[in-house]
Amino acid sequence: MAAVVVLVLRVLLALALYAFLGWAFITLWRELRLTSQIVSVRKIPELTLQEQFGEAKTYTFAVMEITLGRDPTCDVPLLDDTISAHHLRLSYHHNQWWAEDLNSTNGSFLNDEKITTPTVMISGDELRAGQLRLLVTIAPH
Amino acid sequence: MNHLFPQSVSPRDQTQSRLMLLAAGFVFLYAAALTLAPAVRLHTWQAELRWAHWLGVAVWVSTFALLHRLLLRQLPDRDPYLLPAAALLTGWGLMTIWRLEPQFGLRQTLWLAISGGVFALGLRIPEPLRLLRRYKYLWLTSGLLLTALTFFIGVYPAGAGPELWLGCCGVYLQPSEPLKLLLVVYLSAYLADALWLKFNWVSLLSPTLVLTGAALALLLAQRDLGTALIFLTLYFLILYLASGRARVMAAAVGVVLAAAVLGSLLFDVIQTRMAAWLNPWADPSGRSFQIVQSIMAVAAGSLMGSGPGLGSPGLVPVAHSDFIFAAIAEEMGLAGSLGLLAVVGLFVSRGLRAALHAPSNYQRYLAAGLSAYIGVQSILIIGGNLRALPLTGVTLPYVSYGGSSLLTSFIILLILILISSPAELEPAPLPKPAPYRLLALGMVGALTVLALGAGWWALVRAAPLSTRADNPRQAILDRFVGRGRLLDRSGQALVADVGSPGSYRRQINVPSLSLVTGYAHPLYGLSGLEAALNPYLRGLQGVPTSEIQTNQMLYAQRPPGLDVRLSLDRALQAEADRLLGEHRGALVLMNAQTGEILAMASHPYADFNRLDSDWDTWRQDPSAPLFNRAVQGTYPLGAAVNPFLLTAAAGRGPLPALPGAFANRSNSAILECALPPTGDLNWEHVVSAGCPEAAAALEELLAPTAVSNLYRDLGWAEAPDLPLNVAVPPVQDAAQPLQTASLRVSPLQMALAAASLSADGRTPAPRLTVAVNTPAEGWVILPSGPTREALPSQPVQDISARLALTDLPLWMSVARAASPEQTVTWGLGGTVARWQGSPLALAVVIEEDNPAAAAHIVREMLQATLNPTTLSSSPTQP
Repeated sequence: MAAVVVLVLRVLLALALYAFLGWAFITLWRELRLTSQIVSVRKIPELTLQEQFGEAKTYTFAVMEITLGRDPTCDVPLLDDTISAHHLRLSYHHNQWWAEDLNSTNGSFLNDEKITTPTVMISGDELRAGQLRLLVTIAPH
Repeated sequence: MNHLFPQSVSPRDQTQSRLMLLAAGFVFLYAAALTLAPAVRLHTWQAELRWAHWLGVAVWVSTFALLHRLLLRQLPDRDPYLLPAAALLTGWGLMTIWRLEPQFGLRQTLWLAISGGVFALGLRIPEPLRLLRRYKYLWLTSGLLLTALTFFIGVYPAGAGPELWLGCCGVYLQPSEPLKLLLVVYLSAYLADALWLKFNWVSLLSPTLVLTGAALALLLAQRDLGTALIFLTLYFLILYLASGRARVMAAAVGVVLAAAVLGSLLFDVIQTRMAAWLNPWADPSGRSFQIVQSIMAVAAGSLMGSGPGLGSPGLVPVAHSDFIFAAIAEEMGLAGSLGLLAVVGLFVSRGLRAALHAPSNYQRYLAAGLSAYIGVQSILIIGGNLRALPLTGVTLPYVSYGGSSLLTSFIILLILILISSPAELEPAPLPKPAPYRLLALGMVGALTVLALGAGWWALVRAAPLSTRADNPRQAILDRFVGRGRLLDRSGQALVADVGSPGSYRRQINVPSLSLVTGYAHPLYGLSGLEAALNPYLRGLQGVPTSEIQTNQMLYAQRPPGLDVRLSLDRALQAEADRLLGEHRGALVLMNAQTGEILAMASHPYADFNRLDSDWDTWRQDPSAPLFNRAVQGTYPLGAAVNPFLLTAAAGRGPLPALPGAFANRSNSAILECALPPTGDLNWEHVVSAGCPEAAAALEELLAPTAVSNLYRDLGWAEAPDLPLNVAVPPVQDAAQPLQTASLRVSPLQMALAAASLSADGRTPAPRLTVAVNTPAEGWVILPSGPTREALPSQPVQDISARLALTDLPLWMSVARAASPEQTVTWGLGGTVARWQGSPLALAVVIEEDNPAAAAHIVREMLQATLNPTTLSSSPTQP
């Protein structure tokens, strides 16, 4: 008698397990495939920085985050005394390129306005770090 | 139940609530089945039911009900699958640990409460992920320091073993568990911070290499090799995910292979484990004991498993920790183990999904790294359990016993849930999705391989594994269900179980029959009739298949064993033992017509009731008490062939006069006969007195080929067909004649030959088992072999009449037989044609030169058989 009760319990146990899995798995695969498709088609619009004076170097990026500063580990090492070691961070999110000052000594400016919070950049903006001016060009989407 | 896991209007919450409900249902059903398991095992409600694990259920329910509510309130956008999957695995593991080792179950319950508390606290910390990122060096360094501390104050909580734990007073932490988590945190944070403009291996990798190398060195020095392997794997995986470069994976494969080769040169344990993995059958009771026991447990589970509490997963060493998967596979079957693999797959894929949706690279690496951690560790240990991979002593996350492991797993769960619930809805761009796809594919592939492996052991290899001698499950079932009895011909129990279900023990009521009945012992296995009749005694033969299946399904047991009736007679056996007494030798008494063996004695004998204490003594005893002389012993023939030669000679025509050797001597004492011939010197008297001169003369009368053919006809060139280990005559060229001087026969063979003298020249097939008591048809007679012509029938009647004693309807003959090693004495006898009852045949051998004793035994034994009332105990007694 106990055995019959336990057999019923065991069948229900297996049913509970597979109900759990069945419930979860259908949605799982759909979502995983969808997500990887959505995310992988998204591209970062290319960002070009052009020095306005001096050597007039040009930098082009297709990554999410760029740091500018005097430190050689920065993505854009800038050899200018008015620039801090880690001066400025440019990052791409929410379909925009953003500029963010990293507490630099001489400040960062977008179109001559001091950057205090992360600020959206658009193509043609002029970015100034210390005394260094950079022209921002963003490739169209 | 829905009060426990409330839902809201959000579809996420509804999904999570429903899954939590199903997980809770699963845990409840498991616990209920476990409670009733003792009643099922013992087939009675009187059994002591198990209740202790309900404490674990209570703590599990309250912990996860709390976490569910907290998540509903605080993280409305989290992934709704992670918590239920972890909850199901934790509950399953917790119940399995309670089932295996209640004291560990209690500890794990405490750790579950602690881990739940830590999870809840972690939810209150503002921005915990940023905190991890900012102090990455601090975290990793403290992890390394803690691990380094185990060198100095490390302990092993369970006594002697690797000293990888820190702590005291019952609370122990294994720092290598959180160290793995901290490594993933550090690598994710570092690689996300060190964004590269130009991909520079040296500057990129040097700090991570130094720290990972330090961690590896620590783990290697501590011999925590499983963790070291996971470290190495995780390092390369995260590097690959971050860099997206395939050459990282190529390097990883190279390094892991090199590490395996180098490791097996440096560490004995790797060598051992590799050998145990590659060829576990070489040393199944030593180095590969664990792995062999593990796959036996998986095989025992078959498709549906025995049911919670009904299997024997405790046979696998450390089943609650490293081998918990095997324990689950045994009690939940392939259905359960596939479900478990699927839940692990669900968890890992949800973690990877969280990674893909993560708002920053740091969180993405972290989520992917932690999902990989859970996935890789699960695959490693499940693969180890299934012999798909070499064994690595790591835990199965969420499931295995282990406080540090559970706590670490809960922190991983917290981090994954936090990442899955981003503050910003926009996932970070993913320039290279290939590594993530590949990782997901790899996980699915590995889990599929494991599923196939589980199926292989549970279905394809189940039958040969379950019948292996080193699989104790059948012996354990013997203790619960009981074996059938071995009865003597009148129905008295010769061997029966004593005790109650769960502690049945085999008892041999007639110890002198030990060598015939054999033993059924959990450690020593089966021998004798216990082995030969095992399918009946275990109820696997003679029982309808449907009943076997029903028993298997309901109780995970076999049906009760069937009683088997033997041809042996308890009273005659007692008489045989009394007569043989201290003589070293053997006796076989049989019904000459049917071949039924009525008594079979071999002295000295081991009493298998004392198997546990005396085994080693017996093995070393020079008198060989484990050796069944009656069927395994072979002895030279000597003059014991006299009656057969005489019959064969009589079959060729009238016998000549006695040769000169006898005619000249009236003084019989000069002859080398075993006993002085009684009465006149004639053929029958010198034959029954065992005079070797008679044998020589008769052999001369018959041609050597005729002698050889006679021996073949008597069955001396082949092994008798008896379900015991009988002596097998050496393989002989059929063309080569058998010679009296070199031939050796067993007492059983001699008794069969004697039977032909008592039964008109026909030799029966020997027979020990008569009938089996089946549930459907009652007593069913077991088939017996054919009789065959051995001696010509007319001379047999004539000769046996001439050999007959004057006072009894018996013939007998005594003979000495000598070989270079020993001299033995044979005694043969049987009934003659005028005896109206069942014809009898008897062969006695004693390993001494004592014809008088042999003659006494033969005479007394046969007389007792003819007049059963003279026996001390009546054979008709039930």
